[in-house]
Amino acid sequence: MSIDDATTAANDRLADRDDMIVCVNVDKFYGDFQALKGVTATIKEGEVAVVCGPSGSGKSTWIRCINRLEVHQGGDIVVDGIELTNDLRNIEKIRSEVGMVFQQFNLFPHLTVLDNITLAPIWVRKKPRAEAESTARALLERVGIPEQAEKFPGQLSGGQQQRVAIARSLAMEPRVMLFDEPTSALDPEMIKEVLDVMKELARSGITMMVVTHEMGFAREVADRIMFMEGGEIVEVGTPEHFFTNPTEDRTKLFLSQIL
Amino acid sequence: MEEEDPISVALKQEENISPNEAPRLSVGQWLRTNLFSNWANTILTILGALAAFLMLRGVLNFVFSENREWVAVRTNLRALMTLSYPESQYVRVWVALGFVVALAGLSAGIWANWGGLPLRRLGTWFMGVGGLIALCVLVREPSVLVDTEGKALLTLSGSLQRESFGAAMADRVNWWIAALVLFGFGIALWSRFSSAERRHIEWPITSIVYVGIGIAILTLWVVPYGHYAFDDGTYIAEPGTTVAFSTQMPWTVMWALLGLGFLLGKFLRSSRYVRMSKTGSNLLWLICPFALFWVVLRDPALDYGHVMSTDLPMGLAFGLLGAGALWLLTRSDIGEAGRIAATVLLVVAIFNWVAAFFGWYPMLQKARISFLLLAFAALLAPNFIGDVAKRRQLVLGWIGVMALVHYLATMINTPSTLDLQSDEFLGGLGLTLFVAVIVVVLSFPLGVLLALGRTSKFPIFRMLSTSYIEVIRGVPLISVLIFFSVMVPLFLPDGMELAELAAVLTGYTLFSAAYLAENVRGGLQSITKGQYEAADAIGLTAAQRTGFIVLPQALTVSIPQLVGQVISSFKETSLLAIIGLFDFLRVANSVIPAQSEFMGVKREGILVVAMIYFFFNFVISKYSQRLERRVGLGER
Ligand SMILES: Nc1ncnc2c1ncn2[C@@H]1O[C@H](COP(=O)(O)OP(=O)(O)OP(=O)(O)O)[C@@H](O)[C@H]1O
Ligand SMILES: [Mg+2]
Repeated sequence: MSIDDATTAANDRLADRDDMIVCVNVDKFYGDFQALKGVTATIKEGEVAVVCGPSGSGKSTWIRCINRLEVHQGGDIVVDGIELTNDLRNIEKIRSEVGMVFQQFNLFPHLTVLDNITLAPIWVRKKPRAEAESTARALLERVGIPEQAEKFPGQLSGGQQQRVAIARSLAMEPRVMLFDEPTSALDPEMIKEVLDVMKELARSGITMMVVTHEMGFAREVADRIMFMEGGEIVEVGTPEHFFTNPTEDRTKLFLSQIL
Repeated sequence: MEEEDPISVALKQEENISPNEAPRLSVGQWLRTNLFSNWANTILTILGALAAFLMLRGVLNFVFSENREWVAVRTNLRALMTLSYPESQYVRVWVALGFVVALAGLSAGIWANWGGLPLRRLGTWFMGVGGLIALCVLVREPSVLVDTEGKALLTLSGSLQRESFGAAMADRVNWWIAALVLFGFGIALWSRFSSAERRHIEWPITSIVYVGIGIAILTLWVVPYGHYAFDDGTYIAEPGTTVAFSTQMPWTVMWALLGLGFLLGKFLRSSRYVRMSKTGSNLLWLICPFALFWVVLRDPALDYGHVMSTDLPMGLAFGLLGAGALWLLTRSDIGEAGRIAATVLLVVAIFNWVAAFFGWYPMLQKARISFLLLAFAALLAPNFIGDVAKRRQLVLGWIGVMALVHYLATMINTPSTLDLQSDEFLGGLGLTLFVAVIVVVLSFPLGVLLALGRTSKFPIFRMLSTSYIEVIRGVPLISVLIFFSVMVPLFLPDGMELAELAAVLTGYTLFSAAYLAENVRGGLQSITKGQYEAADAIGLTAAQRTGFIVLPQALTVSIPQLVGQVISSFKETSLLAIIGLFDFLRVANSVIPAQSEFMGVKREGILVVAMIYFFFNFVISKYSQRLERRVGLGER
């Protein structure tokens, strides 16, 4: 069964949605080493796609190609109808439509939480400061830390920092959110608070692509799970399909290791 | 593995130094654990104390020796400050100083919450000073006895004959009184504020410093420092009088300005205009050197006719016509025509220089420069095509650049024709500070640009900056200074002169910028990749990323090195003496000893100069430590 068949068969709910992220035969090289080998996948508007796979399989590389933190060498990536090329204007457009949350939070340590969140809306979206600040406070409320607005990132716990990072991305009102292992750098007791925020986001209907090893999260909110290995997408399916009867041996092996 | 980030480190340090939390050892315990913990340590302590004692005694003997002519320094305070800057033009120096002082007060008020000093601690400080004076009085050797002609008397064995210890102590009764008064005041303060409920009563540090400065200025009115004048080509010293009213009054005004500036700043800090006033004060600091340069150097007989008929119209023409052209060139439908126009401009601009070389047609140098800049701006224009905001950026940027270039060109082209009474222009501490401040302020942006160039991803910028930095760092400062004061004027095209001071400032700035760039580069390298990626991911442009994310952090990291650079720029101004300027040190070293009243009196002046250098650098360094701690916390 081909990948695309599995995708469509498994996703009636998304069948008539528009395409949000389209990757066709994406290749990525680091020198001689090929990190992505013809990755082809389509993510629909409002879909929550979870990407998993062993370390070094190219998950981060792929997700970072989608907002052009990495430049792919072969194939096409189209996000919301905009093709990713070297054209600076396209990159600018993509970046303001695609939010990204990193494993290491990457908050700006010299700015307060509020300034972290309002920076891009003010300078990229050219919003008036007052408006940006009230949006930021609303977002902090949404991620559950309204009282931390005036603090600096270094004064927050890891879980709080990651939630600020999510708020910072949301402040740009993106249509797509990318998460690259958002909970891997967190202590177990903080993972839940971040996952809760992400679940709430998923239900709000924003398109999400999440690299994670949190299989509980995947089972609960993912529309599809994609399994990568060696720079390729090996298997795609609904959580049900994925956890109950995966077809590929490599997927079974992976699941047996992490579950 | 996650590294410990600088902020949490700073937080921890902050906790450690917090005075309320640290467990206090009693004096005896402290001595035992730190100085006399074992016998080796005890011996070291005793040897160290002995060395300190001998050093202190040596310094005291030197300072209070009968051979010291401190009156030479007191009388020459004015020479040390400004040398022979003409008295009739003094108001310019005062205006310049007043501007800086008020601005400093303003910034101190706007930017920082200076906190308070517990009065109890202030009491211990007074006790410390009183105790130190008493110690000095005890340690200093009894004075050498002299005969009626002032020659030292010798004992039979040939050593100096000194008065008895008791007589020496009696002689120093004034010092004893001073020590007792200070100590007593300290004890009174300390005991009054020692009770549990008064313990935390504080006085703002700013008030304490302000009162201190006030007392120093008050002494101008009461202490007979002596008076000094420069008249008809000769130095006249009048020991034994208080300084002139024309010195007392302005200093008092400076004091008032400092206070007013601070109060205004404090008011702005708590008003809703904080952000605006922060930007404003930064801008003022940037403009300040140019303004001061103009105030101090300005030709009293500046040809305003020429300024009005030529300089100003020309600046306006380039500014406005250029702005119009750039506005057109950034229209979204400009297409190929824009590129052609830019190329034509570039060809014309280059041709102007060729023509200058062969002398085909006359043209003011600044017109050539402006033309070339316009061509570059036109080449950049396609990057600014788009919405109105972007186009406005380019146009406003252009107008700013033109204002600066034409202002500088007009100013530098108009060397001062102050009617100097000697060859020497502004000298002394005035010159030293003037050069140091201007060099630091100007080399800062240049250094940052060079550092960005050196770490840029464009090879051409990298190459240019790297070679510039390496070349400059490969030559001694003094050769750069000589090059600019002697050689550059020879290379300048006709009709362009560079005032000596301007030449020196240019050379010094270019030199200092190269070193600054290396320090900033160190900071730039410490910014993690994640910061760049996060900035990119939220859609910041490269310039915004640099300005909001990268530079603030990089500069914070390099504060210690940058401050080191500031301090060394300040100290190395003493090299100006070699190319003939009369800096602070040179006044002490060669002007004062040449006066007939104080023939050969050198050491006193040099000691005072060294102390003043030290004072300034100490303050800078202390401030930087404070700054480091504060930005380390992320607070601004
Ligand atoms: N900048 C780089 N230069 C060279 N090779 C790289 C670079 N970044 C990643 N790689 C290689 O590309 C491959 C894919 O890396 P990637 O970071 O995408 O893996 P991953 O699936 O995200 O793994 P993990 O779960 O450990 O984060 C790895 O073999 C890695 O060594
Ligand atoms: Mg990864």
